[in-house]
Amino acid sequence: MEPSPAKGKPQGRLLVSTTLDAKDELEERLERCVGIVTSLTNGLSEREANDAITANVCKGPQQHEEVCLGLFALLLTEPPQAQRCYRDLTLVNRDGMNVILIKINQILMEKFLKLQDVCRTQLVWLVRELVKSGVIGADGVLMTLMKQIAGGDITSKNLWLAENVLDILLDQREWVLKSGMLIAMSVYTYLRLIVDHGTPALLVLRQKEVDLCIGLLREKFMECFIIGRDLVRLLQIVARIPEMELLWKDLLHNPQALSPQFTGKGLLQLLTARTSRKFLACRLTPDMETKLLFMTSRVRFGQQKRYQDWFQRQYLSTAESQSLRCDLIRYICGVVHPSNEVLSSDILPRWAIIGWLLTTCTSNVAASNAKLALFYDWLFFSPEKDSIMNIEPAILVMHHSMKPHPAITATLLDFMCRIIPHFFPPLEGQVRQGVFNSLTFIMEKRVLAHLAPLFDNPKLDRELRSMLRERFAEFCSSPSPPTEGRDEGANEMKMEESVSLEMDNHVLLDKEDGCYDNTEAAFSDDEEEVNNKGNKKREFRFHPIKEAVIEEPADITPYVDQLDDTMKEKVLQLQKGSDTEAHCEVMQEIVDLVLEEDFDSEQMSTLASCLAELFKGHFRGDVLPDDITEESLEESVCKPVCLVFRNLCQMQEDNSGFSVLLEMLAELYQKQPKIGYHLLYYLRASKAAMGKMSLYESFAQATALGDLHTCLMMDMKACQEDDIRLLCYLTPSIYTEVHTNVFYAEFPDETLRSGELLNMIVAVIDSTQLQELMCHVMIGNLVMFRKDSVLNILIQSLEWETFEQYSAWQLFLAHSIPLETIIPILQHLKYKEHPEALSCLLLQLRREKPSGEMVKMVLSRPCHPEDQFTTSILRHWAAKHDDVLGEHIKALLIKNNNMPRKRQSLRSSSSKLAQLTLEQILEHMDNLRLNLSNTKNSFFTQTPILQALQHVQASCDEAHKMRFSDLFSLAEEYEEPSSKPPKSRRKAPASSPRSRKGTVTPVSNEEESASSSASEEEDSKPKAPKRKRKGSSAVASDSD
Amino acid sequence: MTTETHVKDIKPGLKNLNVIFIVLETGRVTKTKDGHEVRTCKVADKTGSISISVWDEVGGLIQTGDIIRLTKGYASVFKGCLTLYTGRGGELLKIGEFCMVYSEVPNFSEPNPEYSNMDQMKNKTVRGNDTTNGNGVNSQGSGSSTTPPQGGRAGSGVGSRANNPGGTTVNGKETRRSTKR
Repeated sequence: MEPSPAKGKPQGRLLVSTTLDAKDELEERLERCVGIVTSLTNGLSEREANDAITANVCKGPQQHEEVCLGLFALLLTEPPQAQRCYRDLTLVNRDGMNVILIKINQILMEKFLKLQDVCRTQLVWLVRELVKSGVIGADGVLMTLMKQIAGGDITSKNLWLAENVLDILLDQREWVLKSGMLIAMSVYTYLRLIVDHGTPALLVLRQKEVDLCIGLLREKFMECFIIGRDLVRLLQIVARIPEMELLWKDLLHNPQALSPQFTGKGLLQLLTARTSRKFLACRLTPDMETKLLFMTSRVRFGQQKRYQDWFQRQYLSTAESQSLRCDLIRYICGVVHPSNEVLSSDILPRWAIIGWLLTTCTSNVAASNAKLALFYDWLFFSPEKDSIMNIEPAILVMHHSMKPHPAITATLLDFMCRIIPHFFPPLEGQVRQGVFNSLTFIMEKRVLAHLAPLFDNPKLDRELRSMLRERFAEFCSSPSPPTEGRDEGANEMKMEESVSLEMDNHVLLDKEDGCYDNTEAAFSDDEEEVNNKGNKKREFRFHPIKEAVIEEPADITPYVDQLDDTMKEKVLQLQKGSDTEAHCEVMQEIVDLVLEEDFDSEQMSTLASCLAELFKGHFRGDVLPDDITEESLEESVCKPVCLVFRNLCQMQEDNSGFSVLLEMLAELYQKQPKIGYHLLYYLRASKAAMGKMSLYESFAQATALGDLHTCLMMDMKACQEDDIRLLCYLTPSIYTEVHTNVFYAEFPDETLRSGELLNMIVAVIDSTQLQELMCHVMIGNLVMFRKDSVLNILIQSLEWETFEQYSAWQLFLAHSIPLETIIPILQHLKYKEHPEALSCLLLQLRREKPSGEMVKMVLSRPCHPEDQFTTSILRHWAAKHDDVLGEHIKALLIKNNNMPRKRQSLRSSSSKLAQLTLEQILEHMDNLRLNLSNTKNSFFTQTPILQALQHVQASCDEAHKMRFSDLFSLAEEYEEPSSKPPKSRRKAPASSPRSRKGTVTPVSNEEESASSSASEEEDSKPKAPKRKRKGSSAVASDSD
Repeated sequence: MTTETHVKDIKPGLKNLNVIFIVLETGRVTKTKDGHEVRTCKVADKTGSISISVWDEVGGLIQTGDIIRLTKGYASVFKGCLTLYTGRGGELLKIGEFCMVYSEVPNFSEPNPEYSNMDQMKNKTVRGNDTTNGNGVNSQGSGSSTTPPQGGRAGSGVGSRANNPGGTTVNGKETRRSTKR
């Protein structure tokens, strides 16, 4: 048969495909729709055709969609017909082009890489038309299109796309200016792309990009302000391009020139604002994102090599792709925040990916940019606003590289020291504070318990260590020189010292080099660079605020002017008053305004920023009253924020206001994540919210997170970090509301099966709270484990801290789940690695009557001279349940004796779990024998044991006979009571060291063995040609 | 939909296999005497890895990291190693890339001396397969020289190629066949 290349797979017109590619469903669907449109209009005049499709569209939504998609696909594949198709589309569609927008988005997110060139051109043309027609939603599509422009890629296709999208933005400027998000996203995208377009051939393009960015930044700076600190990072990288330099200087000295609301402390405000995930994610193409997320969520640590190679082959192999590393690192730090479940599993950790990106970096410039990207959230870190997840990768990559790659750790530590004075000298105090905050928070969160092993490690050279000691005395355990106190005064002194160091600091040059990456073609003069730097230090002066950021009063100036007057007035009222009741009244009025029909939803984000800022006080302190009474609970839910919750509770879900309020909450959630668990608290504590727990799901779906599970985990995590009492208070309702299916059906499973939530709880509770939770369980208020999931959760728990594990076991024991359910966990328990689980299990096992499975699992433990687990439980059972134990052991001995050895080794190599082998059983038995030897225990005189021993001895090899001779000798005197005539017996071979009468003939009885499981049947075929001898009758009677 | 077989469950002589795997390595090209390109690729799923022999054009299109669905494949022993082939009417289709977890061990294509002991048995099972395939090929009138691997196993010209040292792939199969005869 000839492999027929095109058989059944004609090349589609939309996507590039080869004989290897599977058919694409979307493409087929679109082509079917083209067929429908063509058959409708075939042979008709233009007017008739128009009538025909209009008539068809009227038949129903399905026909409407088919016609729209048909015209859409024709437009993509047939450029000459594009104009006509677009006109028809605008005429016949009845959904504001929604079907088309959805399909464009789908193609962009899933198929863009495979799109044929013609279709790609047409698609960009179509987006431009949609923008020109001002179709609602076109901005979203344009942003998705922008996301397809890959960073670090100057192939002609990618440049073409960058230029064409740029043209749309420049041509449709008026339209662009209407959408704040589009402005910010365009600036973020093109500031980044400028870096890639530094070669002479691309300077024309770069100039256009610069013009766009400068224009938008100058005219709409406050819209760009929402990007957060990464705006500064990008600006700094391109700040040597002349127009950019002017803007950069304005940003530093003359911020009001950019926006009247952007005052002296504006830069610091910008640098302290965490960059929203949207921006960090927008510079990765969907394909990059998918692959990185896959690596960080599914690939096991140790298995990443090939995936890294594949990723590198596709995205990181060229010289210009070096710049992409920063985007990837920022994305990993700021967007990829794995759940606790993943963090405690053997999934590839984030720091390992960062380490890979750093070690494979080939240019110095890219390397220092990459380091800056890695530490960017450290510089102005505030535990209040920033997340530990953003700073964790840097500390862990330093920690974990110490052994395998000390050079990496050293260069990062060096960078961390030097960035403090050199990032921006006027802000040195703030940067120092940020780095200190980061390190303190890292220890507080126990990412690393101590920093001394990192900072004062003999693997680092002396100079670096002394620099670290000097800068971070607080974090080094080693004695510091007496002159160096640990108070603030000493800090001041050191600051001066390090500033003076700056002049002859080479790393600075390095770093600045890095910051001005890729403009080298234009400015390659070292001299100039130094001058430039000098200039900067002299000119760039502004007064840092003295106080820590946390103490700032609410500052809503950047936002409040963007609100319309009525709303602005209300917000300002909120800012003035201090009386809670008055606040609540104003808040209700604001909610009412929001719910009014003419409320401009574009203001929602701004309003949310104001509210989050104004109410930040509410989100500090404790939520849960000290004494929990009905009154105190009711009182605790009377904050202005709760008014939004209350309104939501009182509203029907089909009310249009319902989704408006959800949108408001979702916006608030973006600015103030704590609102998530406040909502949970409100739903649990407020009487008005009785039975409304399901609102939380609606809320979760409305958030940017989009799904209940993630949202719940994030909120519980935030709650865990802020208020452990509250976490315990919420726990029963989270579990039980879930259990009683107040939440939707698919949910209970997910939560119950995940150990994540459990870990979150046991990681922070103390023994009193543990005991309270256990009581809740026993009373029936709380169900934390279910039979089908408990085993997996306990297996996950093996990675946890000791107290966490004990707590998990205590909670498990408080439930009445049969021990049998979790017995298989024994296979995962290693001596010395899992003492918590082993001891809990040991105590539980001794209360049980041994079952076959239990005995098997217990015997499956690898033999270790010091590991007494198996011996101790066997001894206990031998005393209490000797007969049952005897029968089980006999069965296992006989079964395993019959299993061919090869198969065992094959199986055990395919799985890491402990496997039961004959040798193991014998070894455990021998240990038990030794242990019982001085007691009166009669376990080894039982008939089943003796029969089994004889049986095994008869067929095992000489080495085993020798090794377990003492054990076998116990059975020597035993005579099978019903034994058949001795013809089936013969003396053991003479070579046997203990050749005795009564030894049973070596027998291979695979055929008779009923024990080999069904799955092994196929394996057993190869064994067939081996020795075939009917087993002795004695054995035959044994094996059943 | 037909169910997929896991790599660990692939045994010599099984046919009509549907397997989804990710490509880990693509081997060098060898040419058979009649001009077919043959590549041996290492592929894996979560249960282990195995070699697959890919013929002609498709082999050149396969890249490491591709996730591929094999339909109507069969497994047989080549030079003592378990190997996967595309069977008659079967195909390889790329259904994705990158995003699939796999385990490289155990490698089920490692030389396994047991397989040489099994020759007799396996040949029994494969023979039935051969006959139908052979008939099919002959009825299409293809000569053995243009017969791709699937048919090649049953081609009538097999005997004459048995001594040919050039076509390694063919050779392995021949060894097996001559044992049978």
